[in-house]
Amino acid sequence: MFMKVRATPALPATTVTAHAPAVDVRGVTVSYRSTPVLWDVDAELPAGRLSAIVGPNGAGKSTLLRAMLGLVPMESGRVRIAGLPLEQARDLLAYVPQREAVDWNFPVTVREVVAMGRYRAAGWFRRLGRTDRTLAAEALERVGMTAFARRQIGELSGGQRQRVFVARALAQQAEVLLMDEPFAGIDARTQAGLLGLFGELCAEGRSVVVVHHDIAAVRASFDHALLLNVRALGCGDAREVLTEEAILRAYGAPPAEDAVAWAR
Amino acid sequence: MTDTAVIVLTAALTGTACALLGPFLVLRRVALLGDAVSHAVLPGIVLVWLVAQTRAPLAVVAGAALFAVVCVLAIDALRATGLVPPDAAIGLVFPALFSLGVLGVTRYADGIHLDLDSTIYGEIAFVPFATVTVAGVPLARATVVLAVVVAVNLALVGLLWKELKATTFDPEFSRTVGLRPVLLSRLLLLAVAVTAVSAFEAVGAILVVTLLIVPAATAYLLTDRLAVMVAVAVAVSWVGAVAGNALATATDSAISGAMGLACTACFVLALLAAPRHGLVVRWIRRGRRRRPAAAA
Amino acid sequence: MGPLIDAIPLPYTDAVVVLGAAVLGLTCGVLGAFAVLRGRSLVGDAVAHAALPGVCVAFLLGGTKDVPLLLVGAGVAGVLGAVVMLAIERNTRIPADSAIGLVLSAFFSLGVVLLTYIAGSGDADQAGLESYLFGQAAGLLESDVAVMAAISAVSLAAVALTVRAMRVVLFDPRFGGSIGLPVRALEITSTVMLVIAVVIGVRMVGAILMVAMLIAPTVTARQLTDRLVPLLALAGVVGAAVGVAGAVGSTAAGLPTGPVIVLLALGIVLAAVLLAPRRGVLWRAGALLHRRRLAACDAALLAWHRDGELPARSVRALARRGWAEPGPAGPRPTAAGRAAIQEVLERRALWSAWLEHGTRLDLDDPREPGPHDLAAVLGPHRVSELRELAATNGAPR
Repeated sequence: MFMKVRATPALPATTVTAHAPAVDVRGVTVSYRSTPVLWDVDAELPAGRLSAIVGPNGAGKSTLLRAMLGLVPMESGRVRIAGLPLEQARDLLAYVPQREAVDWNFPVTVREVVAMGRYRAAGWFRRLGRTDRTLAAEALERVGMTAFARRQIGELSGGQRQRVFVARALAQQAEVLLMDEPFAGIDARTQAGLLGLFGELCAEGRSVVVVHHDIAAVRASFDHALLLNVRALGCGDAREVLTEEAILRAYGAPPAEDAVAWAR
Repeated sequence: MTDTAVIVLTAALTGTACALLGPFLVLRRVALLGDAVSHAVLPGIVLVWLVAQTRAPLAVVAGAALFAVVCVLAIDALRATGLVPPDAAIGLVFPALFSLGVLGVTRYADGIHLDLDSTIYGEIAFVPFATVTVAGVPLARATVVLAVVVAVNLALVGLLWKELKATTFDPEFSRTVGLRPVLLSRLLLLAVAVTAVSAFEAVGAILVVTLLIVPAATAYLLTDRLAVMVAVAVAVSWVGAVAGNALATATDSAISGAMGLACTACFVLALLAAPRHGLVVRWIRRGRRRRPAAAA
Repeated sequence: MGPLIDAIPLPYTDAVVVLGAAVLGLTCGVLGAFAVLRGRSLVGDAVAHAALPGVCVAFLLGGTKDVPLLLVGAGVAGVLGAVVMLAIERNTRIPADSAIGLVLSAFFSLGVVLLTYIAGSGDADQAGLESYLFGQAAGLLESDVAVMAAISAVSLAAVALTVRAMRVVLFDPRFGGSIGLPVRALEITSTVMLVIAVVIGVRMVGAILMVAMLIAPTVTARQLTDRLVPLLALAGVVGAAVGVAGAVGSTAAGLPTGPVIVLLALGIVLAAVLLAPRRGVLWRAGALLHRRRLAACDAALLAWHRDGELPARSVRALARRGWAEPGPAGPRPTAAGRAAIQEVLERRALWSAWLEHGTRLDLDDPREPGPHDLAAVLGPHRVSELRELAATNGAPR
């Protein structure tokens, strides 16, 4: 289903600084009114790896991604992408948001959506050049959606749409890809395909950060995990961080002995 | 050029100028903001007259742009308080600004030959008589102004095509890649204000709103490609201009109203008969889906 | 009607206008609430424009400028417009706001054509379009006001009867449906009431400005109360007050009534939005600024403690509070400054402990505390309990 294409060559070693993590947040606090939704979050997500952000509902996972992108104001703290502050790092970043915010009735084809990934590179007022169009076509091919290039975006299924948005991110030729719940509400085949694609991207030297709800899947297939519930409860190797105890702590259920004490 | 031809040409130019912007207003769900801005430009016209004693197009456009900005900023400010719902904010600001304009006209504008009525439905019948000389050729002033506006709108939409497309489709993505959705929104509304004020004299505010929304809505039912949508909207506005003029002559009624009706007729036709999104097709499809169940 | 008019200390025609404005304000205030609270404020704008062809058709059919007949025509067209709006919204991909704009434009164009056809000339001005659009308070008759008042009374009675059911449906229509309320019927009633309000008001303020009269009283009242019945009452009062004040002011100054009323209405909205207790902007701005200053202060102290560096502007702010003093290697904390840092660290540690162990505490107070008022909300007993939990990392003694 996903095409093994001539993969984009691995990033030259100079671009991916071995020392700089893909994402480095320090002391990030984001409040809504007077309640913190993120509190003093410290996390380092390594370069060239597949990382997941996990946590219960309302844990602030989406908010953290949006804070990394400058879409929400931070009360305190700072964010570095590949060692650079956000404003200098925009060309290195690609973002795949949660799918709801888009107008599915918009008269735009799949190919045009993917091409939007090249808009920043093309610059204001200019048309897309041949390189841009080739890169977009290759990105579309890589997620296996070339056959759908001329379809209107609303005609696609959930899994197909997700692939198109991932293709848009690929077209941006970014070093760091941030994705908000890309696996939510899509079929298992597409999920497997996407996971494989993410692995390939990491092998090329890119960094992929994903907000994910399925802890078992993260433990099985991801390198790195950040366990989040308003504050960072653990950041490191996925299997080391996502222990049973840590998960219970994050999701709020009291440990076994206390349950007995309460019942007394 | 005969007077009728000038009238139809002016109407068609107005339609084109509006139809270039309309699809973006409809798709961005700010159609009524376009309505608001079209009304809010009235105090701008009055102010320019009071301050500079002129109705020269450039000055008037500047006044209109100013009040369009005031309108949009005021609506945003009310919304930002969190205490006023967004549509309520629109419905408060533009009547207030329009009231300022009306008061200005009744109080101070006796010398100005700006009747309130003409601001609403225009005096397109008089357009051929106000002429300017361009390159030695006498041309109707309103027609020239509108031709310029068409060129400006064309330039705007052409140069910023991909930016407008991306920011309309996915504003959040656009923000992250630095495409400035808010800035483009404001630019769009500014263009609406300039178009509205230029068309005031000819067709009045209501027809401007009609030409912004109805052709674009018609086109939305007929196609799934943005570029085609803009082209169809322009075409519908031309149909409106020609058919409207014919209708007005036949029934001896106001041309602006007739044009609005003609565009509406196109919309109704599209609503019923559009190949993919029309009601007839949908009813047939629904019937086909039900029949197998009935047969089972 | 007579004695009421005599009671107003103004010449007869002016008194009629003032009374009419009072009825208008009251009615539009109350009935408009049902549009605003459902998020359909601008439907009123469309209905106001859509009523025009109805007036024309009524005139064509009836052959006379009989006011009640014209009002019926306006009402029918208004309801038709509302129905078409909803139909377009529900059955096509056209977005809701464009549907409103469509109906507004389409019906109004038809109205203009009919009007000028009736007048037998292409000049709509002669045909009275101006007074339709801009209102014509001046020619208001006592009988007109009587009709307005009668219609108004009936609608307000309908509101009073249905208000309890409306409250549920306005807030959560699906819930209302699930408990057996006739949601559709109530929505239709709301729409009809909106049309009635428009039909009454268009005569005085005109079609363009009508929408502000539907919205302003409700928005004002909303800043002052959270409950539906007081809101409706307040909206009525505000509407009537604005109407009367505007009518009196405009007749005194010789200005058109509609615009004056609308500007006054906006003025009242602004006053309410700025000054309302607790919700108002000025009220909250103070609290917001205070919170921001605290947060910035905390952030500066924290950064200083953690990284040992302090941006120049924070140095000045902290020095002003007596927490920083110049030292040999740059600014350093005073004793008070060190205490402040300690306080910030403790407060943050308490909040972290709260996030971690807060569910274990037995709280009587249902308030949800924030990091700055946590200690105050918990009280000293719970604070020490929380500290203990944090120290032992959750294992109780």
